[in-house]
Amino acid sequence: MHEMGVVLNIVSEAEKVARENDAEAVGRLVLQIGELTGVVPRYVQDCYPGAIENTVLAKSELIIEIIPGNGICKECNKVYNLLEQDFKCPKCGGEDWEVLSGRELMIKEIYVS
Amino acid sequence: MNTVRVIELKKSVYESNNKEADQLREELKKGKTFLLNMMSSPGSGKTTTVLGTIERLKDELRIGVMEADIDSSVDAEKVAAAGVKTNQLHTGGMCHLDAGMTKQGLADIDTDDLDLIILENVGNLVCPAEFDTGAAKSVMLLSVPEGDDKPLKYPLMFSMVDALLINKIDCLNYFDFDIDAVKKRVTKLNPNLKVFEISAKTGQGMDEWADWLRKEVKEWNS
Repeated sequence: MHEMGVVLNIVSEAEKVARENDAEAVGRLVLQIGELTGVVPRYVQDCYPGAIENTVLAKSELIIEIIPGNGICKECNKVYNLLEQDFKCPKCGGEDWEVLSGRELMIKEIYVS
Repeated sequence: MNTVRVIELKKSVYESNNKEADQLREELKKGKTFLLNMMSSPGSGKTTTVLGTIERLKDELRIGVMEADIDSSVDAEKVAAAGVKTNQLHTGGMCHLDAGMTKQGLADIDTDDLDLIILENVGNLVCPAEFDTGAAKSVMLLSVPEGDDKPLKYPLMFSMVDALLINKIDCLNYFDFDIDAVKKRVTKLNPNLKVFEISAKTGQGMDEWADWLRKEVKEWNS
């Protein structure tokens, strides 16, 4: 329901770039999904074939890179994975953190020919 | 055989929506119209809160309302009956509004003579939080029957809004809802969050909420 909208958006952005670069076909699209975005990678993969039909990405492969949801403890500066540690510093137990990565939803690159 | 080239994009999927939202926000600021994005789960009391807000502010502010639902005009009819300019958007199955859809909806209302437009977003705690609608401020409702663990389950929504209305406080006796736990959880996620405890039905707390909104609108439109 929701991932499809996101995937359609990604496909149209990639189409635009392919056109701007005079590409005939896109062979691969690399998408970075941050762990903290709530976007489910499996659903994105499932929606992809439907979204690329009849586009310049029709024969492309989707590669997903997961960006870890890391944060830094504001009390002791330890960097840790917020989800794995349940938003609590494994070193000092502090719950005052700042997100360093994991909020990205980014088209990293496309392979064209 | 064609050579394969790699084109680096590093383009955020939300980038085009964010740009559109910033543009819309600027236009609304120039036109002195304050757009409030109101979000929550279905059934938390958004429409009742909108009606109570209109009642308290309509003598000082010119108000318009945009209702967003998958289907039906139920909400728009209730609000239109209160005598304000209303537009019902049907999202066609989309679970949230983005800047583009908001812009389209606004085009159907004459925003020139409106000080405040309340956008009642689709009932959903997940997706609306990810899409900037171009609003000046955003507010979410959490009603007592939904439970005090929602800030733990839906952190993004609670962390990106400017105000939180804890609604249906007239029902506190019937539910195990720990208001202090909610306040503690949301303050951790969002230290600057303004929290209001209200009952849109009985009117409790509504004056304080309306006062805050009035102040924000006047500041924006000055």
